[in-house]
Amino acid sequence: MAELAPGVRVRTRTTDPDGHTRLPRYARGAVGVLVEEAGVHPLADDRARGRAGAPQPVWHVRFAAADLFGAGDHTVTVELWADYLTPIEEDA
Amino acid sequence: MSGDHTSSAVSARVRSVEAFLESRGLLDDGEIDRRIDEFLAGGSPVNGARIAARAWVDPGFAERLLADANSAIRELGLTMAGGLQEQRLKVVANTVDEHNVVVCTLCSCYPIALLGPSPGWYKSEAYRSRVVRDPRGVLREFGVELPDRTRISVWDASAESRYMVVPRRPAGTEDLPEEQLAGLVTRKGLIGTAVV
Amino acid sequence: MSRINDVGGMSGFPPIAEEPDEPPFHADWEAHVLALNGALIRRGVYNLDEFRDAIERMPPEEYLAASYYERWFTAITALLVAKGVATADELDSPHG
Repeated sequence: MAELAPGVRVRTRTTDPDGHTRLPRYARGAVGVLVEEAGVHPLADDRARGRAGAPQPVWHVRFAAADLFGAGDHTVTVELWADYLTPIEEDA
Repeated sequence: MSGDHTSSAVSARVRSVEAFLESRGLLDDGEIDRRIDEFLAGGSPVNGARIAARAWVDPGFAERLLADANSAIRELGLTMAGGLQEQRLKVVANTVDEHNVVVCTLCSCYPIALLGPSPGWYKSEAYRSRVVRDPRGVLREFGVELPDRTRISVWDASAESRYMVVPRRPAGTEDLPEEQLAGLVTRKGLIGTAVV
Repeated sequence: MSRINDVGGMSGFPPIAEEPDEPPFHADWEAHVLALNGALIRRGVYNLDEFRDAIERMPPEEYLAASYYERWFTAITALLVAKGVATADELDSPHG
């Protein structure tokens, strides 16, 4: 599996968890590009459920608006925990 | 918007819950008033304006600010450690090619310990729902018309960082001293819903 | 399941309303609610994510009808009960 690093393309989690999460609905199941690491923190989903949670990297992930909404020439950069992200294997 | 009657009922209930928590030893006498005073004394858009003005006059500072804002703002005697814990500050700068605008779609995340309370519209569903999808339309509502060639970057404060925008320095201000430049910077400019 | 707070990209909300010369708080109790929340989080009664979760669990019609700090106070009292700090009856009785 590819490492999370700036420039890597990722797909966000598609599932709709029962309870608190910090992956906005509009950014689920979408493909974006990692811009910059934004620190290391326990997953908010865990802490909201009273669990300590192991610290993990959080990333600024940039999406083209057209990929999120089907329209728009802007970008939206969302701050997402590594747990929400799966790197996309690029063809060699 | 709540009417006066609702507001006074809520007010009485808040006081009552505070008194209950004091009786259980979960609040100290006078603690709430002290925290309110600290909060109101701590954050202000003036802090953000000082940061933006310094970035305009000092390219080295601007570079450090964009790379590591928490360290850079200490040069001005400012800190992100004024709240519950030190938060990471992410600063982005507007240019002729790119305009940045900040939102928290999930709640209302904002660097309050640095900049004070956010405006009501920033917390509204109206702003939070639409600016990610149609930032050009939202900016137009705020009276900001950007050229088509200016790219718009929306930042959703969905995790642990807090965000601040350095607006573009207005034309014709080359001779102004830093303090006067800071006087030009508005809270909306620091969020990205106004140009300066 | 997605909750009412997760509004990014939704349509149907009214135009954005700006309030000229908006004060930091519109009533004293709002400042008290903000300070109370900070005090309880610092004491470890609950954490910030549990607080957000408690706001998000509000029924959508109540969430949308409530003002910003009314939502906060609803969440605070819900957490005080959930954490066993107080019963609902204790919170409903006048104190002080």
